[in-house]
Amino acid sequence: MRLRTDDDIYRARLVYLGPPGYTLPVHLPYAQYGLFVLLVPLFVAIHYLLTFHVEFPAWEIALAMVTTSYIFRHVDPDRPARVVIRTALTDWRRTREPAVEQRDARLVASRIRVREELV
Amino acid sequence: MTPTPPPGSARAVDAQAGNGYHTTRQGSYPTREASSVDDDAVNEDQPVASPGHGAVAVFQAPHAVRDRSGTVAGAESVTRPLNGALKRTGPPEPVDIDSPFLDLFADAEPPAPPASPHTAPTGPGLPPDNELATDELPALEAGTLEADAVEPAQPEGSHGPAGHRDDPPPLTNYPANQSRVPPSRALPAWDAAPDGRREVVQAGLRRDLAEKPDLAEQLDLAEQPDRGEKPTNLPAKVPAGRPPARSSRSQASRPRFSDRDPAVELTISEIAGHLTFTPNTVTAWYWLPEVRWAFRPDAEREALLSAISEQFAGLAGFRLHLRRTTRPFPADEWARIVDRNTPNPLPTVDGAPSWSDHLVSAQRHLLSVNHAEGQTYLGVTFARRSLGNSLTERLLRAFGRGVAEGERRRLGRTVEQFDEVLGAFGMRGRQVTPAELEWLLYRSVALCMSPPSLLSPVSDGRWERGDLLALTEQIERYRTPYGSTLKFVNRMTGEERHVAILSVGRMEPLEIPERHEPWLHFHERLPWAMEISSRVDILGPGDSFRNLEHRLRMIRSQQLDYAEHGIDAPPELERLAKRALVIGDEMTTGLPVDSARAHGWHRIAVGGHTREECLERARRLIQLYSRELRVSLQHPKNQDWLAREFIPGEPIANTGYLRRMPVKLLAAALPQAASTVGDRRGDLIGRTAGTCRRPVFLDMHFPMEVRERSGLAVFVAEPGGGKSTLLGALGYLAARRGVQVTLLDPSGPLARLCSMPELRPFSRVLNLTGSEQGTLAPYSLIPTPSRLEFGDGTAGDREFEIAMSNARAERRMLVQDICSMLVPPQVAREASTAMLLRHAVRQVPAEETSTLDDIVACLSHMDNGEGRELANLLLDTAEMPLAVLFFGHPPAGLLGADAVLTVITMAGLRLPDLKIEREYWSAEEALALPMLHTAHRLAVRRCYGGSMSSRKLVGLDEAHFMEGWRSGRSFLVRLARDSRKWNLAALVASQNPRDILGLDVQNLVSTVFVGRIAEDAEIASEALRLLRVPVNDGYEATLASLSAVDSASSARLGFREFVMRDVDGRVQKIRVDVSYVEGLLDHLDTTPASASAPNGASSMLTPGSSAMPALPSPREPDV
Repeated sequence: MRLRTDDDIYRARLVYLGPPGYTLPVHLPYAQYGLFVLLVPLFVAIHYLLTFHVEFPAWEIALAMVTTSYIFRHVDPDRPARVVIRTALTDWRRTREPAVEQRDARLVASRIRVREELV
Repeated sequence: MTPTPPPGSARAVDAQAGNGYHTTRQGSYPTREASSVDDDAVNEDQPVASPGHGAVAVFQAPHAVRDRSGTVAGAESVTRPLNGALKRTGPPEPVDIDSPFLDLFADAEPPAPPASPHTAPTGPGLPPDNELATDELPALEAGTLEADAVEPAQPEGSHGPAGHRDDPPPLTNYPANQSRVPPSRALPAWDAAPDGRREVVQAGLRRDLAEKPDLAEQLDLAEQPDRGEKPTNLPAKVPAGRPPARSSRSQASRPRFSDRDPAVELTISEIAGHLTFTPNTVTAWYWLPEVRWAFRPDAEREALLSAISEQFAGLAGFRLHLRRTTRPFPADEWARIVDRNTPNPLPTVDGAPSWSDHLVSAQRHLLSVNHAEGQTYLGVTFARRSLGNSLTERLLRAFGRGVAEGERRRLGRTVEQFDEVLGAFGMRGRQVTPAELEWLLYRSVALCMSPPSLLSPVSDGRWERGDLLALTEQIERYRTPYGSTLKFVNRMTGEERHVAILSVGRMEPLEIPERHEPWLHFHERLPWAMEISSRVDILGPGDSFRNLEHRLRMIRSQQLDYAEHGIDAPPELERLAKRALVIGDEMTTGLPVDSARAHGWHRIAVGGHTREECLERARRLIQLYSRELRVSLQHPKNQDWLAREFIPGEPIANTGYLRRMPVKLLAAALPQAASTVGDRRGDLIGRTAGTCRRPVFLDMHFPMEVRERSGLAVFVAEPGGGKSTLLGALGYLAARRGVQVTLLDPSGPLARLCSMPELRPFSRVLNLTGSEQGTLAPYSLIPTPSRLEFGDGTAGDREFEIAMSNARAERRMLVQDICSMLVPPQVAREASTAMLLRHAVRQVPAEETSTLDDIVACLSHMDNGEGRELANLLLDTAEMPLAVLFFGHPPAGLLGADAVLTVITMAGLRLPDLKIEREYWSAEEALALPMLHTAHRLAVRRCYGGSMSSRKLVGLDEAHFMEGWRSGRSFLVRLARDSRKWNLAALVASQNPRDILGLDVQNLVSTVFVGRIAEDAEIASEALRLLRVPVNDGYEATLASLSAVDSASSARLGFREFVMRDVDGRVQKIRVDVSYVEGLLDHLDTTPASASAPNGASSMLTPGSSAMPALPSPREPDV
């Protein structure tokens, strides 16, 4: 039996070409625009918290673009942006593996109740 | 400055051993350097996944313990460990290997029980039964205890570490308020105890754990000797009573632990029967038994896979959790069975290993090569729990009741559908028991760690509910940011494990039954145990079609987009759209099996003692998968989430590496595939070498005594394929068990077996070439049946009569054949010769007392000249020195029944080449043929001497000389038929399967070993026929690749491989490895270069110096 996964169908690269009638010079995946759209207000908010006044978000847009492209450098069909961001958030302290471990919570099963029979 | 740790603490041990790991074991016992080379070789090649393999109880037969004085045991056990290294180098005589204590500790093996810290304080009320053993050892313990009791804070320097190498670390620092353990409960006494006692102690430990839930905490406290010195270092948020983190030797390696709560409870809140409850879901768990995969016809495999995929398709709409974990092979259980099946093992010879030592070394070997038995669990998450249910449970928990009965009743009815679906052919799943679920939970939390095997839940069954779960408290987890591995530390045993979780990435198309192995079974060919977790959503036809259609629309819209913008669309879009259309078509029109999809995450956990070892193993695994299966295993970050995913009920780590596949491909993962062969009650002869590694045990009397089949076993291989060695090894192992063994080895190397010290007093060699006249007298070779062998009454009389006349007929046939062999072939071929011989044979009474001389006399008294001429020809032959064996009466007491092992050889005899015409054989070669025929008879003749039910074994080498003669066939048929009646295991070795097939006895053959057959494809297909494996399915290449040499290496091949079919028809590739028997391989070595050495060297063989040629090479070809 020749058996194969369906993954390639889901691996198709879907990009935004631009509004009708106008083709953007760069074609980026839809998800990248989505992330960008989320990041801009985030940076605006951060800016507001720092300076307490709002202006045209030029810097924020630039930063969001850089951040988006940086994040998407690590994204592939098997590693969604969500995972990359989550890893970055938990492990932001270092980019390389340090020699020291930190202890994680022990996972304890002792509170589980055991019943021999279901009923 | 780091303070010197006090002696006996785990840290002191670490410092001595020069490593930073939390092992209590490594330094406590003689270091690895002290162990012999072969130990290292074993461990390097086949790394032990469970470092606590010593913790698995080693069963020792009670025989040897009985005949040893207690004094020796006690004294030995104290002194030996201190100079454990001596054991390997010293002469074998004084080594008192009988001491079970010694066996566990003195040998320079890591397998000393790592459980020492926790077992020590928990053996209540153990009556000392071996005075000396308990007195002497605990004297040390007691001394330490008292010293520490007086000065609990005295940290260092006062005791030399060497003097206290036996101290279980926790004991020395046991909190003062804790009631002291009497010295007799100390570990060594416990281990010196015979089995019954050990069980008492185990029961005690369990009781203690149950009574004192805080015991573990105290044990941990005890592990931290210098905690008291730096109380200020403790983080504020550590709750009172909670042990602070283990302090480390230097500031640099201090783990940071203040960032998380030290303990998190699992999501699972209750186990009820085979269901597990989390606050939101209910999962039903099933146990999937192992299925045979290797050497099955492809049609059968496909049938299996489609049955399984139908079962998966039947679970559409549910989320599955497929878990594969392992259990170390219960070597002690096996040894107990063997010992029970061995009523009369060979008596102990001074200076040679006793039966008990033999069993212990077999168990050691089993543990050191780390055989693990796989266990496959399938969880079906089938119900969402309502908020009400979950709140009710919480409420009831407060009253100690758990999930409400109404809910359980309702679920009990729902879950029946899965029993139906999963129990059918294919998976044949059965509901798991709560104990198995506990085991799974423990194994998942302590991922890749050695299980608490001293209290093996499976063999003892004396775990209380929840004990195993409570042990998860001791497992600490460490992670590093962006780390590629996780570290697990068992606070109780000090065991440290590094684990890497790999995720199944991109997969290329697989042709599963034809070309590829099942893709989640494939990892088992690597020599260490791994764990698998697959979380899969099964999508039914509707869901999967919707999912696919959505994707197709996205692709189409993208294409449209490209068209609108006037840009060329990438060609893959069209290709993918087409493929989506085809799949969609299959889904809408095909059967549910074709349309159901499995979207899921598949992870493999690889463990190692050190981070480097773990990563190296992960690398090898990745390489293996990408090379052989074209599956790319990925090693993602955030290993801690991934590891958590292995635990039932825990959330999925992330959405990456989602594999979407037809259920057929999921079925073809087949993690429950296994390759077992042999019985569970025989001697250890090696391991399976196919797709996974399992020990192979073979009891040659199993077919007769249990299966009621014939005991004929056939060995076929090319010269050099290892037939003789295997034959000799089986003969040795049977002789050890007290079976009466007769080996016929024409070329003679097996005679060296008789010089092995443990066999020497009980064995004898019969060299036919130097024997007396009449040894092979054909008439007496066929035994006369005795009336006692048959039942009473007329029926018995009749059977007896038939047997008598059969014996006479057989004698006549044999004599006629022998005479034809003795005369020149030209004469033998003439019709008159046959007629004259038949006439003479008819004249001479066919009784045991007749001789060939009677035939000659009868011929010479005939009145025609031809008869006289024939008589003269026979007399001419009789002048040759070897031919006198056929003439005259056999000497009395030729084959005494007293010798356990008899080896019949024909040293110096030149065997003819059967491919050459008989005319061209030399006189000596021509004589070899009748000699071999009669020698075969002689070997079997001995077995008819004793009682019918006693176990007997006959090994016949070079059986291909039997072909072409009717007496040869009747011999094998009779052997096969009598084997059951006489409890006679007959091993027949031949170079060509055609001999056996030609004799048409293959349906009487119960066990088959086929070795390397590379030269002749025809012979290979006949061998496959003998194995009852489909011919022309590509398995011929398997036979040719057996025992394949690595052409890059100039060393001799250290092992031999066979394909074995056992009495139950299971076929598997096995690798014979009897290196655990001291010196056996040296004595069996038939290779010319080394053949001369062992005889001289055997006298100075020391236990550690055996070359053990059967050790697998560090890089095995199949890995």
